[in-house]
Amino acid sequence: MTDGPLIVQSDKTLLLDIDHPLSTECRRAIAPFAELERSPEHIHTYRLTPLGLWNARAAGHDAEQVIDTLIKYSRYSVPHSILIDVAETMSRYGRLRLEADPVHGLILVTTDTAVLEEVIRARKIAPLLGARIDAETIAVLPSQRGHIKQSLLRLGWPAEDFAGYVDGQAHPIELVQKDWQIRPYQELAAEGFWHGGSGVVVLPCGAGKTIVGAAAMAHAKATTLILVTNTIAARQWREELLKRTTLNEDEIGEYSGAKKEIRPVTIATYQVMTKKKNGVYAHLDLFDTHDWGLIIYDEVHLLPAPIFRFTADIQSRRRLGLTATLVREDGMEGEVFSLIGPKRYDVPWKEIEAQGYIAPAECIEVRVNLTEGERLLYATAEPENRYRTCATTRTKRNVVETLVKKHAGEQILVIGQYITQLDELAEVLGVPLIKGDTPIKEREILFNKFRTGEITCLVVSKVANFSIDLPDATIAIQVSGAFGSRQEEAQRLGRILRPKSDGRSAKFYSVISRDTIDQDFAQNRQRFLAEQGYSYKIIDADDVYLDKI
Amino acid sequence: MEIRSFSDYLRSVDDAAFLNLFSSRPDLVIPVPPDIASLAVRACSPPSLARAIDSLNKWQFQVLEAACVLNEPFTAKRLIAITDKAADGALTHLISIGLVYPSEDGMRLPTPLRDVLGSEPAGLGPESLAKLTLTELENAPTDAKKVLERLIWGPPRGSVGDIKNPGSGVAWLLERKFLVPLDQRTVILPREVGLFLRGGKTHRESFTNPPELIGVKREIRQINLAAIANISTVLRWIEELLNFWAEEPADALRAGGLGVRDLKILATHLGVDEACAAFITELAYLTSLISIDANDRIMPSNKFDVWLMQTPADRWQVLTSAWLTTSRVSGLVGRADTRNVAALGPELDRVNAARVRALTLSILNENPELAPNIKSFIEFLTWRAPVRRNSLLQDELATWTLREAEWLGLTGQGAFSKYGIDFLSGGDLNLINSDLPKTVDHILIQSDNTAIAPGPLEHEISQQLAIMAEIESRGGATVYRFSEATIRRALDHGKTGDEIRAFLLKTSKTPMPQPLDYLISDVAKKHGKLRIGNTASFIRCEDTSLITQIMNDKKLEVLSLRRIAPEVVICEREATDAMRILRDAGYLPAAESQHGMLLSGPQSKRAQTKPRPPRIIGEIETPDEDQLNSAIRAIRTGEKSRHKQTHLRQIASEALGALPRNSANETMDLINRFIQEEKSLSIGYADNNGAVTHRIIDPIRVSAGALIARDHATGEVQSFRIPRITGVAPL
Repeated sequence: MTDGPLIVQSDKTLLLDIDHPLSTECRRAIAPFAELERSPEHIHTYRLTPLGLWNARAAGHDAEQVIDTLIKYSRYSVPHSILIDVAETMSRYGRLRLEADPVHGLILVTTDTAVLEEVIRARKIAPLLGARIDAETIAVLPSQRGHIKQSLLRLGWPAEDFAGYVDGQAHPIELVQKDWQIRPYQELAAEGFWHGGSGVVVLPCGAGKTIVGAAAMAHAKATTLILVTNTIAARQWREELLKRTTLNEDEIGEYSGAKKEIRPVTIATYQVMTKKKNGVYAHLDLFDTHDWGLIIYDEVHLLPAPIFRFTADIQSRRRLGLTATLVREDGMEGEVFSLIGPKRYDVPWKEIEAQGYIAPAECIEVRVNLTEGERLLYATAEPENRYRTCATTRTKRNVVETLVKKHAGEQILVIGQYITQLDELAEVLGVPLIKGDTPIKEREILFNKFRTGEITCLVVSKVANFSIDLPDATIAIQVSGAFGSRQEEAQRLGRILRPKSDGRSAKFYSVISRDTIDQDFAQNRQRFLAEQGYSYKIIDADDVYLDKI
Repeated sequence: MEIRSFSDYLRSVDDAAFLNLFSSRPDLVIPVPPDIASLAVRACSPPSLARAIDSLNKWQFQVLEAACVLNEPFTAKRLIAITDKAADGALTHLISIGLVYPSEDGMRLPTPLRDVLGSEPAGLGPESLAKLTLTELENAPTDAKKVLERLIWGPPRGSVGDIKNPGSGVAWLLERKFLVPLDQRTVILPREVGLFLRGGKTHRESFTNPPELIGVKREIRQINLAAIANISTVLRWIEELLNFWAEEPADALRAGGLGVRDLKILATHLGVDEACAAFITELAYLTSLISIDANDRIMPSNKFDVWLMQTPADRWQVLTSAWLTTSRVSGLVGRADTRNVAALGPELDRVNAARVRALTLSILNENPELAPNIKSFIEFLTWRAPVRRNSLLQDELATWTLREAEWLGLTGQGAFSKYGIDFLSGGDLNLINSDLPKTVDHILIQSDNTAIAPGPLEHEISQQLAIMAEIESRGGATVYRFSEATIRRALDHGKTGDEIRAFLLKTSKTPMPQPLDYLISDVAKKHGKLRIGNTASFIRCEDTSLITQIMNDKKLEVLSLRRIAPEVVICEREATDAMRILRDAGYLPAAESQHGMLLSGPQSKRAQTKPRPPRIIGEIETPDEDQLNSAIRAIRTGEKSRHKQTHLRQIASEALGALPRNSANETMDLINRFIQEEKSLSIGYADNNGAVTHRIIDPIRVSAGALIARDHATGEVQSFRIPRITGVAPL
């Protein structure tokens, strides 16, 4: 028994004791091959997955290094089965290679004919292959590069992709660092991505993912397609790029419901890409008809299914996925990794917070007691309406009012799910409301007024869940949400994480009806953030009224 | 003393030789035979011989086969001539375990040995009756050579279309008696021809030395570290298994054993694969820690409570010893071709399992610091114990044994650990207690509602925590997750919210996160709002004054009534009794049918029945030297008294002029000897009615409890049942 910071569990999780003096060193050593799963305050959990181990192989680490690292830092003896498993899993990587061949185009080459024989017999693989060239080589249909990689991964024989990327049409892009500096982690993330070719960068909300995108573009120096969630986000990307790079207004186009510009750097929304005309996706060929050198997927955890399918077809282009919360309630995280690329950079939220790049935040759950009448209403509600009933009670309104009063003078966002509830709140509070049918123009005006401080309180629906950059918002009050969605909770917190000019910490209130499913959903919603080390404080509505917080 | 038979030989050897013989063939002294004649009979019985043969390695077996090829008596020189120089050593071993014995004119084999080995040792046929000119073989025509090539390395039989019309090659050989017709379609190659063609050697290759055992060299420190981790894991598995079934006993299948579904559930719970889960289950079963009760429920026996008090070293020793000696093979569970073999079921016994295990461990022990490659290990094992009898599975058994030895921590990273060495040599295992990672007495609670024990937890704490939280990850550390369900479970176990909180505050090194605090009080607040209890009967009445009246009625005190609501009273007596008593007291009750399930909280259950661990078949434990020495003394004493008895009996029978009389063992001994010497015998033989007649016979062989012999009176070959032979005397 040594006294290392790491405990290797038999279920392939690694527990890292972060209070240990060697923890930082150890974290750096295991990061290349282990996936960070949870990072609460004392013990971080990493997991050894085949994907992670293969990525480590791709990055040039071998099984011996991995095993040595585990043994070196492990507090207890490493289970033998894990060592064997690591060696076995890693040895599967690289037996198959995808290469570009001057004569045959894309080919699948092996060093182990038995493996090749096995995979070409697989039902899912056979249709993707062309002619057999020799015992160790077989042609692959170039359009199926993504599909074959995905299928091989599922079979457990990941192919190392040497076929390279197309450069795309060159276009000069540089970062302009006059009155700002790229942060070290942003630079590391961009470089990690560039060396890996394609992949996903996971950074907390407010940590400046746009700049990682811009830095990646500066690496690529080529025409770029940026996919974002909505028009507002598209405009923000445009603003940022104008500010941070050498690009000028004419070089950046917007491809949305309103405009259809195609420029060297084009920003398109997921919505327009997936719009169907006569049963076909009319705009998906935007991917194909232009020689993009880089495709950036903003908020990649929201990637819609049709784009998934299409992404498989463009494996020869560099792809960068950006997200804060790669948790999908539909469990499609694996698809994101195999289609966009592996996770290239990930860092615990609290670490960025400690470096001062995102604002410290306090998460507070305010529990309200329902009145007798409300309780009865809840108890007799139809099962499908129960959440709505308890999430939108009148009692919540009073608490929100008090909270808004209490934080008068600060920039406040009130966020909710149900429009009727938001309408009421906006009316009672006497503040503007932004919801789905608010015209883009009006939204922009309102957001601008909020940024300048002209208005200090906004009621917003889920349209403001993502990508809305509101630097000075310090208070968020959540009144209802999309059931137990973990990433929504994290994204909403993200709205107030931009570092404040005066170093103030942000406050995230979540108003919850006591003893209802609202409370159960809240628990699930909070899980992601709790795993990132955010500790929720629970208070009673009465404490709010009595101003005891 | 003149040595004429195996028993004579046994009488001539010293105690040291006995000791040697008995330690390699313990079945000879279990139970201790009364005298040397009985010992000789037992040593010559086919089952005992077969066991002795099983203990030979490939080379010793080759030498034994060669000895069978020779005519008795033979010399060591002759044996070496047809095998290899190294046969000398092998012969000494064969003599020491009583498979060959020296008589005054040379080496001899115990008579039934040839039967045990089969009629064609080393693939050589019987001796030729005719005189052969072997040199002619060199000039055999090509056709004949082709035939010979096919028969040379055995089996020596070949089939021909029709013996009357053979091919030219066969005809040439038949003519010169190099082939002998056996029946219409079969010919056989005589032994001399076979040996001649093999260049005078019985085997193509003499496997005098074992193949090299290849594997990976490991560092001692790493081996022991890995082994101790395995030991702590296997002990944890057992405890978790028992706690799991204490909470929720599994149901045994009607055909016996644990169902596939339950095994899967268990495997998931323990976080291991099904093979490993089956192994753990079997271990607990072997050591009587689980019991299958009369209702076919599988749950911990009360030995589990004792077990918890034992030190880890003791627990481990119990597990390992049971595993080493059992004939049950958990590896068979869920194998593709034996899908329906269930863990804990009746079909897991395999005779040679314990032997393979013992052998595997001793090979590992002989090769310190080596983690053998499986293929090489099996080759090595096959040399040490060539597959002959019960050969099925030997390779798989070896593979499973290596796997299980690792699970048990006998090996670490595949190489034999110091704990394994100490276990085999009977050394001090207390080392384990000090080498196991120190237990920790605290946990770290985090705000995502998990708690982490950064090492093996003290038993009491882990017991408590297991009730309050779900285990999410196991290994050196344990990760627990709290949820509403787990807190409720703790409350169901009789804890209060405050107790849970106090326990966590005391145990946790980190402050209790507020959400967990709230979770506990929220659940505690809701828990127990509904009350459920058992009662024999109830009395209800809408008239509360009547209820008050019966509550105060002295005559009804026997009912021990309790008023649980203004209109409801519960009663300890059955409804019919209550009804009678109420009527006797002058009330007019009416019966009400009752519905509803009675619920009781889960508790840690123990089987009421005594554990019946599975029977072990097959192997006999090797007795220690003391036991052997006392066995030798007993035999010597028996021998002396036998001499006296035989002498007395002879005097008696001479006086009576009766038929020969011997004890059963003497009879067998004499018969064996006379079969070998081909002499005529006089025997007394009892008929169906018990009348003893005198017969003169030529013994031929002993088969299936009967002596096959030619009766001089009838001239026919007849079988005489051995129990009916009253005595034997030479003529």
